[in-house]
Amino acid sequence: MKRRIIIGLACFTLIFFLGGIYIINAIQKTTSTLNDLIKLHQVEILREQLLSDAKLTLSDFAFQNTRYASKSDTVVANVVHMAGVAKRCSTCHHSAETTGKIAELRTRIQSYEEALSRVLTVRASPSRLIYEEDGAFRAGRELINQLDSMTLLTRSRLEKKTASSLKRIGEMKSLLFILIAAGPVFAVGLAVIFIQGFTKPLNEILRATRKVKNGDLEFRIQGLRDEFGEVAASFNEMAKSLNEHMQNLQRAEQMKVVGEIAAGLVHEIKNPLTGIKASMQVLLEQESCEEEDRVVLSKVLDAVMGIEGLMKSLLNFAKPPKPRLVPVDMNMVLESTVAFSLPYASVGPNGPRDVIVVKDFDPHLPSTLADPGQMQQVFLNLFMNALEAMPGGGTLTVRTSAEPGGGLRIEIRDTGKGIDRNAREKLFVPFFTTKHKGTGLGLAVTKRFVEAHGGTISADENPAGGTIFRILLPPAGPR
Amino acid sequence: MGVRPTQVVFIVFVLGIAVLAAGARADTRLPEGTRRPFTIGLTPEQNVFKQMERYAPLAEYLSEKTGLDVRLKVFMSYGKVIDDFVSSGVDGAFFGSLAYVLARERTGVRVLVRPEDRNGSSLYHGLVFVRKGSGIRHVTEMRGKRFAFVDPASTAGFLLPLIYLRSHGVKDYKGYFAETYFAGTHEDAIYDVLNGKADIGAAKNTIFWRLAGADPRISRELKILTRSPDMPETALAVRKDLDHQVGTAIRDTLLQMHNDPLGLTILRDLGARRFVLTTEAYYEPVVGYLRQIGCSPKNYRYPGE
Repeated sequence: MKRRIIIGLACFTLIFFLGGIYIINAIQKTTSTLNDLIKLHQVEILREQLLSDAKLTLSDFAFQNTRYASKSDTVVANVVHMAGVAKRCSTCHHSAETTGKIAELRTRIQSYEEALSRVLTVRASPSRLIYEEDGAFRAGRELINQLDSMTLLTRSRLEKKTASSLKRIGEMKSLLFILIAAGPVFAVGLAVIFIQGFTKPLNEILRATRKVKNGDLEFRIQGLRDEFGEVAASFNEMAKSLNEHMQNLQRAEQMKVVGEIAAGLVHEIKNPLTGIKASMQVLLEQESCEEEDRVVLSKVLDAVMGIEGLMKSLLNFAKPPKPRLVPVDMNMVLESTVAFSLPYASVGPNGPRDVIVVKDFDPHLPSTLADPGQMQQVFLNLFMNALEAMPGGGTLTVRTSAEPGGGLRIEIRDTGKGIDRNAREKLFVPFFTTKHKGTGLGLAVTKRFVEAHGGTISADENPAGGTIFRILLPPAGPR
Repeated sequence: MGVRPTQVVFIVFVLGIAVLAAGARADTRLPEGTRRPFTIGLTPEQNVFKQMERYAPLAEYLSEKTGLDVRLKVFMSYGKVIDDFVSSGVDGAFFGSLAYVLARERTGVRVLVRPEDRNGSSLYHGLVFVRKGSGIRHVTEMRGKRFAFVDPASTAGFLLPLIYLRSHGVKDYKGYFAETYFAGTHEDAIYDVLNGKADIGAAKNTIFWRLAGADPRISRELKILTRSPDMPETALAVRKDLDHQVGTAIRDTLLQMHNDPLGLTILRDLGARRFVLTTEAYYEPVVGYLRQIGCSPKNYRYPGE
């Protein structure tokens, strides 16, 4: 999101910067065009002023020696003004052709000035005076004719130039209006996109929060990206963790209830069972007991002992005894448990079998705090399950290794028939079993014992066939 | 009685201050609130419009330095400057030497300053010239020709040629020549001869050579027959009743303007180095020349009037 904001702001700034440059450029061009136009009109005004001055001086000249004659000061002022205008004209033009024309015009004005001055100052015979006056008048007419032709020529050019300049200015004006109008629209559009970019993910997160608040711990936020995506991932992890905690709490609550029920049941059932068991043993020990009855009594006794075992397992699961932690060398515990299990390895349900036991113990395995009895029961359960999974023989591998943080890893893998994925997921659920005679409490109790030690247990598929159980125990230390 | 060292130091200090004060430029600006018009008349030494253009920077400079509103007025003849001096309301004018002598007699103007050229001369002389190849080498060869004078009140353009003609026995110049006329300006007199409108011309040397600098035909095609003795250059004179303070401000500004970079530039454009004081004594020869033609400043009448 931060990147998107930066990119968005950069785009926004760039577009406005470019827009600003374009507007400044357009204004400058328009100003320049107007300036050129004003200059051209100023030139035209100067030319017309020059023409007017020339006509005025010629008029002064024509009316001299009449009662309409202007004062000599006025005549001089008019001529000086005309010369000044011509001088200004020459500063306006730059092209060689125009400069040449202006120079020619100034020469003509100078000739006219000289002729006028001559007429105004000369004292001579009438014929000479007439000659001088004719010369001055001719110079004046020639000047006016030249100015007339120049004015006519440039006026049409100026009109065309003015029309084209005004058209260009109009186009620039329209473009500027469009830009000025488009600017706020663009800004609003960008603002909407940004606001949506903020509010949409926030609304999604808010909705998820409300769902979780209302108890839907399975709800997960989907489809968010960037920083909001990270927040969503954290939220989802939190929801998952909360869900697990809730489930654990529920399970603990259930276990507590089950434990109390089991304890009550065991207490209620144990005494009658003890009586039944004792009575059955007494009856079996009597010599008068018939062989048929003895078989029946033995089966009853087995059943009673089975119920006793089930009760014990149920009690262990529902109300496991608190582990008595002592420093333990786990390799030693495993060694003794393997030794205890070996007799069962060589004989399977269908007769003798060949089970190879591989012990891959880490000699540098650190000692840990554990209840050796409970851990022995854990390993025994797992060995027995492994052996049961290999009725025709196989390899039982027991491996220990130290974990980086000081913890322990214990792996027990068999090469049996394996457990399918669905069954593996429910393997530690109480009363779930794949065996015909199983109670479904063995692995559940195993898990309870491991968890009571602060560890975890998991089951995976063995790549070589069979199943791998992995136990991770925390490092020795205050628990 | 001995002089103590401290007294010597004090005397030197006071003398130093006095010298510095004397050397410092006087402030020529009139007091505030006295901005009034001051009109300077110009004689048509050359093209009247050029005259206005030529003197305009000087007028602006005087306005700035004195606080006066200095204006220019060009007259269409030398005689007009003299005759209309009072009625036209001018406060001063640049007069040629003859024009000044006549104006002094008739209006009481008093001369202040005149320019000194780049060579340090504040004098000019008159020239009489013809076209080369005209065959005119002497006054005797002028008979029946056309003579272009400048103005009846011009020293170099009329009085001096008249003396020259008289000295060669020509008393009645009008009868001697086929045509005489007044070209109005020195410039026109020169160009009339150059362009064949007249056979003989008279003008002052300063204008002749200034024009020759710009137009090589003048040196190439004209021949100077004679030159007159030196005369004082065109000078600024003011009316007799001019406020003394104003006259002093104008005079001092002109006398000091060569010390100012801007003033120096304006002087250069006028073809001058500086303005110098002029006195009535410079004009005594003019009175002598008038006397030679049987006139005095008082009874001199412009021919053709």
